[in-house]
Amino acid sequence: MMDMLYNLGLGFAVALTLKNVFFCFVGCLIGTLVGVLPGVGPVATISILLPVTLALDPTGALIMLAGIYYGAQYGGSTTAILVNIPGEATAVVTAIDGHEMAKRGQAGLALGLAAIGSFIAGTFATIVIAALGVPMTKLGLLFGPAEYFSLMVMGLVFAVVLAHGSLTKAVAMILAGVLLSCVGADMETGRERMTFGLHMLTDGIEFVVLAMGVFGFGEIFKNLADPEKRDLVKGSIGRLWPSLRDLRENMGAILRGTGIGAVLGVLPGNGAILGPFASYAMEKRLSKRPQDFGTGVSQAVAGPESANNAGAQTSFIPLMTLGLPPNAVMALMVGAMMIQGIVPGPQVIERNPELFWGLIASMWIGNLMLVIINLPLIGLWVKLLQVPYRLLFPAIVAFCCIGLFSISNEPTQVMMAGAMGLVGFALWKLQFEAAPLALGFVLGRLLEEKLRQALIISDGSMTTFITSPLSAFLLAIGAFALLVAVLPSIRKSRDEVFKDA
Amino acid sequence: MSHEVTNPPPPRPLIGRERLAGLCLVVFGLFALYASADLPFFTEGGVGSGLLPRALSVLIILLGIVQLAICWREPPESTGNWPIRDMVPVLVGIFLFALTIRGFDFGSFKIPVLGMAVATPLAIFCSGMAAKDARLVELLIFTVVLSALCIALFRFALGLSLPVAPWLIGY
Repeated sequence: MMDMLYNLGLGFAVALTLKNVFFCFVGCLIGTLVGVLPGVGPVATISILLPVTLALDPTGALIMLAGIYYGAQYGGSTTAILVNIPGEATAVVTAIDGHEMAKRGQAGLALGLAAIGSFIAGTFATIVIAALGVPMTKLGLLFGPAEYFSLMVMGLVFAVVLAHGSLTKAVAMILAGVLLSCVGADMETGRERMTFGLHMLTDGIEFVVLAMGVFGFGEIFKNLADPEKRDLVKGSIGRLWPSLRDLRENMGAILRGTGIGAVLGVLPGNGAILGPFASYAMEKRLSKRPQDFGTGVSQAVAGPESANNAGAQTSFIPLMTLGLPPNAVMALMVGAMMIQGIVPGPQVIERNPELFWGLIASMWIGNLMLVIINLPLIGLWVKLLQVPYRLLFPAIVAFCCIGLFSISNEPTQVMMAGAMGLVGFALWKLQFEAAPLALGFVLGRLLEEKLRQALIISDGSMTTFITSPLSAFLLAIGAFALLVAVLPSIRKSRDEVFKDA
Repeated sequence: MSHEVTNPPPPRPLIGRERLAGLCLVVFGLFALYASADLPFFTEGGVGSGLLPRALSVLIILLGIVQLAICWREPPESTGNWPIRDMVPVLVGIFLFALTIRGFDFGSFKIPVLGMAVATPLAIFCSGMAAKDARLVELLIFTVVLSALCIALFRFALGLSLPVAPWLIGY
């Protein structure tokens, strides 16, 4: 306990320097700005700004990127409430009741509750990260290659179970992601694999190229095919600060959402995405008037928004302590750390304590900033939402192109991302989910490396994954989760959770 | 080639979305199998570089077959319209950016390094033409303003070493 306080003190000392507060502020502002714009998610934003962080010191760079991440999450909910366009998967739930509230002139209340809920969730999640950081790191040090391999397999299984839609397709997407990560020089022998002699594939496919192609350009193609209906709320936004009565009515939802989101966020395999859905389902079940859900119930905004924010933050735990990115955004964080010469993993907390604790402390500061910048600036965000899409997407194209080029100075990377955009569009048309693909790709290289290391240590014997108790335990959890997901009755309730929302 | 009629009825699906998805998986898996055919399965040191790619390819083919089997009897669902024509300008914009930002050598002829001053407006203008409600004058003004902003932001404010206009100002 005292250790934790001491460490947090160190964190705040780092995060509260003028420079880092500034980076945090810039990150939150850019993140919100981009999150508000429909059609640009946090993945695209962070990829575009990745080269920019080259010029910063590691702590400042990560603080800014983290700010962009939760700023974008937050901005996404503003758009969901005011325009009924969920900027990303996690804001889907907020859009349902949030937009109904906005239509009734309660947009301000919805925005205010989202902000306060997010802040409470952020505060709680910061404490969770601080408390879990050290023990998880110790656990991480016990992990050998075999255990890491099993943990990643478990994470990928979770990603399948948590994805909505067809299980077969989700598994196929993960495998395809891992397969794509194999392209390029073999890490042991240096032998080229599946490159067809193409120079641009020698180093493999850059994650940023895949992410910007599928999530950036793909999104544009999608919107051109299926023009979004912008249903911007006209008229007054109403009072922003909730009354004491509103707060009392929603506090339960906020706290429950925070808990659910924080727990799910820690799961490897993008559990954070499930948080808002689970919170919505729970509030509906607990409500005395479940039939009102969907017509503008404030708990249906406060709960999922808190879950969303809590999950977004606790998903840093697997990255910071074990070095495993649980989702695409965290994978970009790995990229940012690698650029700075820091290998994510259990050793970070010891070698770079000021980075680890500074980042954690900055999360709380960032959440506070979000409340402070967002509520007064709401008028500005509304203005921004009036920019027509016909001008917005050429701007996104330009930013993506510049970002892609500046990472490697290679024009071929820009072209490859364009081609990936087509792939992303085709995936959307065939109802394949892109998120498991990205996750498989992210973990692919690490997965193969650990597999090989484990087999070298065990002299090629596959039993090493079962004879190590920790590894066997992790694999068993994964197998159990998969089994449960395939069972028809559970499948039905899983579909219901997603349908509800 | 009718231009933007009130949502033309989607053509009767031949294969249907789900079956097409299964088929795509099989084709993708076969292609990957072909691409990794020359890699060794095992080496003396343990796992060879071909083990994972080939195992994954086979699994993906199997999943494709499973997918086909699941949806074989279901009525085919259409994938909707494929607005290829709307996407072409965006792709052209992206490719023009890639070709002009640092120049490109086609062997027989070379595109010189035109830099951001040319590449960015090309990308913005071309892709902007993809919108069904594009307005020429508005787009032109927007292109000029945004290009200038991009150069100011990325090159000067953020200090990325991007060529701006080597043919004009030397960097």
